[in-house]
Amino acid sequence: MKSTRATQEPRWVRYTLLSVGLGFLFFFLGLPLVAVFVEALAQGLPVYLEALKEPETRSAIGLTVGIALAVLPFNIVFGVAAAWAIAKFDFKGKSLLITLIDLPFAVSPVVAGLIFILLFGAQGTFGPWLAEHDLKIIFAVPGMIIATLFITFPFIARELIPLMQSQGKDEEEAAVSLGASGWQMFWRVTLPNIKWGLLYGVILSNARAMGEFGAVSVVSGHIRGETNTLPLHVEILYNEYNAIGAFAAASILALLALVTLVAKTIVEWRMKKETEMLNTVLAPEKT
Amino acid sequence: MSIEIRNISKRFGNFVALDNINLDIPTGELVALLGPSGCGKTTLLRIIAGMESADQGEILFSGAEATHLHARDRNVGFVFQHYALFRHMTVFENVAFGLRVKPRKERPSDAEIKRRVMELLGLVQLDWLADRYPSQLSGGQRQRIALARALAVEPKVLLLDEPFGALDTKVRKELRRWLRRLHDEMHISSVFVTHDQEEALEVADRVVVMNHGKIEQIGSPDEVYSAPASPFVYQFLGNVNVFHSRVQGGYAEVERHEVSEKTTAFVRPHDIDIALQPLEDGLQATVQHVHPIGPLVRIELQHNSEIVEVELSRERHEALQLVVGQAVWFRPRQMRVFGADQLPRSTPEKQAFLF
Repeated sequence: MKSTRATQEPRWVRYTLLSVGLGFLFFFLGLPLVAVFVEALAQGLPVYLEALKEPETRSAIGLTVGIALAVLPFNIVFGVAAAWAIAKFDFKGKSLLITLIDLPFAVSPVVAGLIFILLFGAQGTFGPWLAEHDLKIIFAVPGMIIATLFITFPFIARELIPLMQSQGKDEEEAAVSLGASGWQMFWRVTLPNIKWGLLYGVILSNARAMGEFGAVSVVSGHIRGETNTLPLHVEILYNEYNAIGAFAAASILALLALVTLVAKTIVEWRMKKETEMLNTVLAPEKT
Repeated sequence: MSIEIRNISKRFGNFVALDNINLDIPTGELVALLGPSGCGKTTLLRIIAGMESADQGEILFSGAEATHLHARDRNVGFVFQHYALFRHMTVFENVAFGLRVKPRKERPSDAEIKRRVMELLGLVQLDWLADRYPSQLSGGQRQRIALARALAVEPKVLLLDEPFGALDTKVRKELRRWLRRLHDEMHISSVFVTHDQEEALEVADRVVVMNHGKIEQIGSPDEVYSAPASPFVYQFLGNVNVFHSRVQGGYAEVERHEVSEKTTAFVRPHDIDIALQPLEDGLQATVQHVHPIGPLVRIELQHNSEIVEVELSRERHEALQLVVGQAVWFRPRQMRVFGADQLPRSTPEKQAFLF
């Protein structure tokens, strides 16, 4: 006997949807990813490794990781502070703050870069003052850090706001009524409750920090070996018809992306498990 | 520690949560703040705990000004409706929290903390759950752990916000009695918020009935039940039949001093007698429904256009053998009359019912 449920779609609908989905993934994600590694390894592993040993490539890798690490503490502090303020307090301008946090998502990264040129560039608002004090921000690493910061700061806050809102402030109030100071409350109660969400936000913002091209490109000045991050370096190499070098550098970015993806999946899984465990609503006690 | 509440008011935007509240809670008393949701009882409790600040008025602890004292310095134990246990800590660590966050000089040693926590867990009879996480406990167990945690810092005052609201009836009854015993053993002042009149009447030494941000009545459970100070208290505490003088023809007899149309009489369903023969000063009615509920039988009578609710004991009902549609006579044994201004009238002492 044929067992078809009333809710089941006809076979052709299921197969069409499935092949559209998988086909799209293959052509736009799978194929490019494979192509990156195929191109990078086109002339064999030794040439690939040689390309990675280029001093400029190595400095680009170092700078990319360095910027990502430099941005991280700022993002964590801002993300936790903003999420805390939004989730646990009522104040005027709260909805404005929530909207502003989304701004970097809406603004094109190139525009973000230009904003900082206008602020800190030689002809910019703070330009003369910076020149007087011999401080270099634009076309130097500080500018790239600031631009990356602008692009990545929403990630952690956006991850934490709904989490902290759903947890409410009962536990914090309980901690305070038991005599905990503000710091004790934060370290012992708030932070443990949001740690997985925080880690998730860190991973996402990190991935974005390492992959950022537009904003960083505008403020970097493309000084080889000095202000070139990996994505910028890939572009330069490619424009010089150095396909092996470009794809080797790109493969490092792709690898970083894969690592991020795995880490994200693990954290997601942990987070889900934890929330399930913590939010189990038990049936009312019977005895 | 005694608590004095002086002229406390609190608004949330346009909503008046508390309107000039004055209340004294003497040391050692167990007080219930009773009222419908939105009456301001939880806000008052949170102001006592220091989690909310009043717009005006002051709070005194043992006669000393405490209005602006920070919540952490008030030495108040707070029990939340939804327990608010620290979800990532074991039961043991939850109870130990208050001891572990003490300043280093006052903090007990680890061995001392362990002894104290196990003692408290013993007190709430849950020492066998020390290594569990809150999510692995039932609602009743969680609430007992929340109580143990609040008691760990040896508070002078215990504040409980709808402590049994999220539990089912049977557990609630057990925990009620248990809270009463605990309160008597610990010699502290306790204030608990509830919307359940039965809970308030059973557990508390004193009941504070609140409505719309105001205190309607303060009194012993017996006082608020048998001598309600306002129509609101009458209606909130138990079932009541409301008679308007306009409908009751012979009712003017009570009201002969003042010919006010709008007076209202309140009669509890169990204060009404039913007879099968005409009563001297009774009213005639028809039996509409007969519902046996536990030890009582609830009868609905129709008198003119009004429904009158009567509660009879099972024995009385056996004797009467009422059936639907039967004509009977009824007469209130005692009642209470309130004027149009909703304030108690001259002599509220259980008046005789005169037609």
